[in-house]
Amino acid sequence: MGPERLWAGLMCTDREASIVIWQLRLPRVLTAMLVGAALSASGLVMQAYFRNSLASPDLLGLSSGAAAGAVLVISAGWAAIEIWVLPLAAVVGATLATLAVLALAKRGASSERLLLAGVALNALLGAVTSYVISTGDLFARSSQLLFWLFGGLEDRTWLHVWAATPIALALALLWPLGRRMDLLSLGEREAQSLGVEVRGLRRRMLVLATVLAATATAVAGIVGFVGLVVPHALRLVVGPEHRRLVPLCVLGGAAFVLACDLAGRLAGGLRLGIVTALVGGPFFLWLLRKRA
Amino acid sequence: MSTNPPAADSPVSLRNVTVQGRLHDLSLELGQGRLIGLVGPNGSGKSTLLQVAAGLLPSGGEVRWSGRRVEEISVPERARQVAWVPQEARFEFGFPVRGVVQQGRFAHGDDETGVDAALARFDLATLAQRPVNALSGGERQRVLLARALVTAAPVQLWDEPLAALDPRHGLEVLMLAKELARAGGTVVMSLHDLRVAHCLDEVLVLAGGELRAAGSPGTVLTAALMHEVFGVRARTGETLILELP
Repeated sequence: MGPERLWAGLMCTDREASIVIWQLRLPRVLTAMLVGAALSASGLVMQAYFRNSLASPDLLGLSSGAAAGAVLVISAGWAAIEIWVLPLAAVVGATLATLAVLALAKRGASSERLLLAGVALNALLGAVTSYVISTGDLFARSSQLLFWLFGGLEDRTWLHVWAATPIALALALLWPLGRRMDLLSLGEREAQSLGVEVRGLRRRMLVLATVLAATATAVAGIVGFVGLVVPHALRLVVGPEHRRLVPLCVLGGAAFVLACDLAGRLAGGLRLGIVTALVGGPFFLWLLRKRA
Repeated sequence: MSTNPPAADSPVSLRNVTVQGRLHDLSLELGQGRLIGLVGPNGSGKSTLLQVAAGLLPSGGEVRWSGRRVEEISVPERARQVAWVPQEARFEFGFPVRGVVQQGRFAHGDDETGVDAALARFDLATLAQRPVNALSGGERQRVLLARALVTAAPVQLWDEPLAALDPRHGLEVLMLAKELARAGGTVVMSLHDLRVAHCLDEVLVLAGGELRAAGSPGTVLTAALMHEVFGVRARTGETLILELP
């Protein structure tokens, strides 16, 4: 589509172009940006919370929790009852996963402990998801179920954009916490001794990180490595100050997922989760090597 | 002296403080204008005591600052009253040294008052832009002390501030502590070197989570007590004395 047709489509003077842009492309682009911003910001918050730059919603099992919740309600047939059932199940699943990670690894835990907790939780939730899929009515719902496991933005509509609005709200609430996250990321007692209300801050961070990751997973399935790669890459460029990192992670995450989605489409329809894993997997290994 | 509690509004007072398994029914006063040493064997409860006094660790018992219960004081207000320096800090993220020191001003509206002076005072001016997680142990300790200094809190609680420092920086920290105390502050530092403890205004001796003795070093650090608490024999004699030039 050339620029002229694009303009005509945007202005609704060309009916065909207008349908493609307004009903197909735009919802997909907006969903991609919201999902990217949410996952990246969620990763940033979890890294500050756990004081560990290897924390992220997918590695720690939040995304798996959200997916398990979603898969359970889909296979039980409840997802068709009301539009909000599916996102709610994802949020509940992610919240349970968050609580499990908190029980397994205390704040400030070593990288080993944190990652092992994530491995254990991912395996457990993966087993739940596999079990549900293997015992469910495979043919009727398999494409819907598989969508969750590989993550993707195919067929996203305005409904999905609206379903992702909690992301915008959570990001707005995250905005003013930057400075306090700086202090918290250097130690809890230290932060409190310097005047930060640590308990309230921690609770807010955890709720926001969970809502962000769960909502993103609810509209796009499991999209891995965004929460790890984007905050990390930006920290290398602009340093660790959260007042700068929060807005940059929102923009960077949106741009990264948009680019990955585009790359996947140009590569002949590779799913988003596969593209982000292809980029993020090697990055993560490089990170581990650098720390060792 | 801490054995004879003065007025009820001494800067910090602890009444029957107990922390399960770490401190047992401990009461003491930290007087104004005093430089106080906190000594005791490993695991005797020194760090715990400092954290309780700083209002960072809940305990059975009562902690009062200038007569007010610490729970009734808002967190930012607490940060302006009492500064605490942890024994060691793990820095996951590479904040620049200056940024970490400036965090001491968080409760003062995040201004930059005294930041450059503190950096100079602790010999950190040339390291100001270095990432804090790339520093040596002694340099990190100086960063934490500089951050405590810029809070301008009248009560300073330092957990083994000398442990990682070279002789000159150690002496400078002692000088600073004395200055702060002379200016009306209250400085408490835990330490292991009983010879250093000997030149402070006051010494608190902890053992097994209990306060064994408190008072001027001359009366407290007797040969008998050092033998009983630390299992060492103390002798006075010729020794190496270090001073700042």
